[in-house]
Amino acid sequence: MAGTIRAQYPTAYRIIIVPCTGRVGADLVMRAFGRGSDGVLIVG
Amino acid sequence: MCPIYVPNYFDENLSARKCIDIAFAQAVPAISNIERDSCVECFACVDACDNESIDFSQQDEIIELEVGTIIIATGWDLYQGDDYGYGIYDNVITQVQLERIIAPNGPTLGHLKRPSDGERPKRILFINCVGSRSLKTHEYCSVVCCNLSIKNSKLIKSEYPDSEIMVCYIDIRAGGKMYEEYYRRARNQGILFVKGMVGDIQEDPETKNLIVKLEPVGTDTIIEKEFDMVILSSASLPSKGTDEIAKVMNLEKTPDGFLKEAHPRLDPISTKTPGIYIAGSCQAQKSIDLTVSQAKGAASEASIPMKNEEYIIELIRAQPNDERCAKCYKCVEACPYGAISINGKNLIEVDIISCRGCGICESLCPSKAIELAHYKDNQYDAFIDALLPIAE
Repeated sequence: MAGTIRAQYPTAYRIIIVPCTGRVGADLVMRAFGRGSDGVLIVG
Repeated sequence: MCPIYVPNYFDENLSARKCIDIAFAQAVPAISNIERDSCVECFACVDACDNESIDFSQQDEIIELEVGTIIIATGWDLYQGDDYGYGIYDNVITQVQLERIIAPNGPTLGHLKRPSDGERPKRILFINCVGSRSLKTHEYCSVVCCNLSIKNSKLIKSEYPDSEIMVCYIDIRAGGKMYEEYYRRARNQGILFVKGMVGDIQEDPETKNLIVKLEPVGTDTIIEKEFDMVILSSASLPSKGTDEIAKVMNLEKTPDGFLKEAHPRLDPISTKTPGIYIAGSCQAQKSIDLTVSQAKGAASEASIPMKNEEYIIELIRAQPNDERCAKCYKCVEACPYGAISINGKNLIEVDIISCRGCGICESLCPSKAIELAHYKDNQYDAFIDALLPIAE
């Protein structure tokens, strides 16, 4: 979406594509936190 | 023979029909049916039928069919709020009722008569966007009403040139082949199009005429004018039962309540459920030509898997791992597509045609016994680790 509307976003964002937000479970979120990310945004 | 008269729903209840009747002249199949709720069971029709075709022992039945594909074409329903005195004032009718009144086989055999006294209305007002394009009712545009107002006002003006016809609108949306030209011809014919919505409508209790107040856009004057009949271009709604169909067939709906297509621009005929296609107003309100196009498209599209006897699926599908499965069956409950079932060995089984590869089952499984091909947990772990390297 951000790409289609040519939106700008901070360079510190890391994007992981999922087939559906349903695919995102607590384990993936926790792993991201465990690796030092400050926040996890689940966007669908 | 039948002594009972009931309101004729095909004529928008503007005329009466017998309790046993063929629904309308072009009905397929052209078979009489009985309205059992109103029938008094005098059996006069049974005695009258020489072919002994009337069977009162018949009951409603559910017939199960096995089919390859389904095309949903359940159409639309009319918005019937009490806006502008509809349902309160006799001479405020909808476009659909007007269509029946001016139809040659309608309740007045095509003669324009108003409901209160059967006189021909000379001063007619059309109000567009009733229940549409408003944040109070429905946000969407009902698409067909502008052209319907143009068509019906033109028809009335051609038949009765002494009619005074006014159309109130927010915007005239006469897009599409030859519609803008049609709109211009209506204006040249002397039909008055006024931009601005009606603020107040009152019925004269004696004459049943309607006194309308409106403020045309761009002026600071309020016009007060008397009309013999007011016709509302009411909004189209998703037909009754759309929610139920969406539930049974696992279809999505757009926020306006109509059925959602696989892709709004590139695939407006398929749905996200394989083998189910949509045509006509159940997807979104549209004109007859677009409905015919979509219906033909849906028929062709549905014939492809039926002719080929194969359906191409993507490889992103859930794969159960029987050895790890703890048989909690959380995935069976969670699957929004009903693709996961329990087989004879109490193990789970994925129907790879129904599965849409969303991965809800995988994120939910406590024993990691079901995985989405190409979107496995270890792949994501590696992905996250690579994106978020831990500084040494």
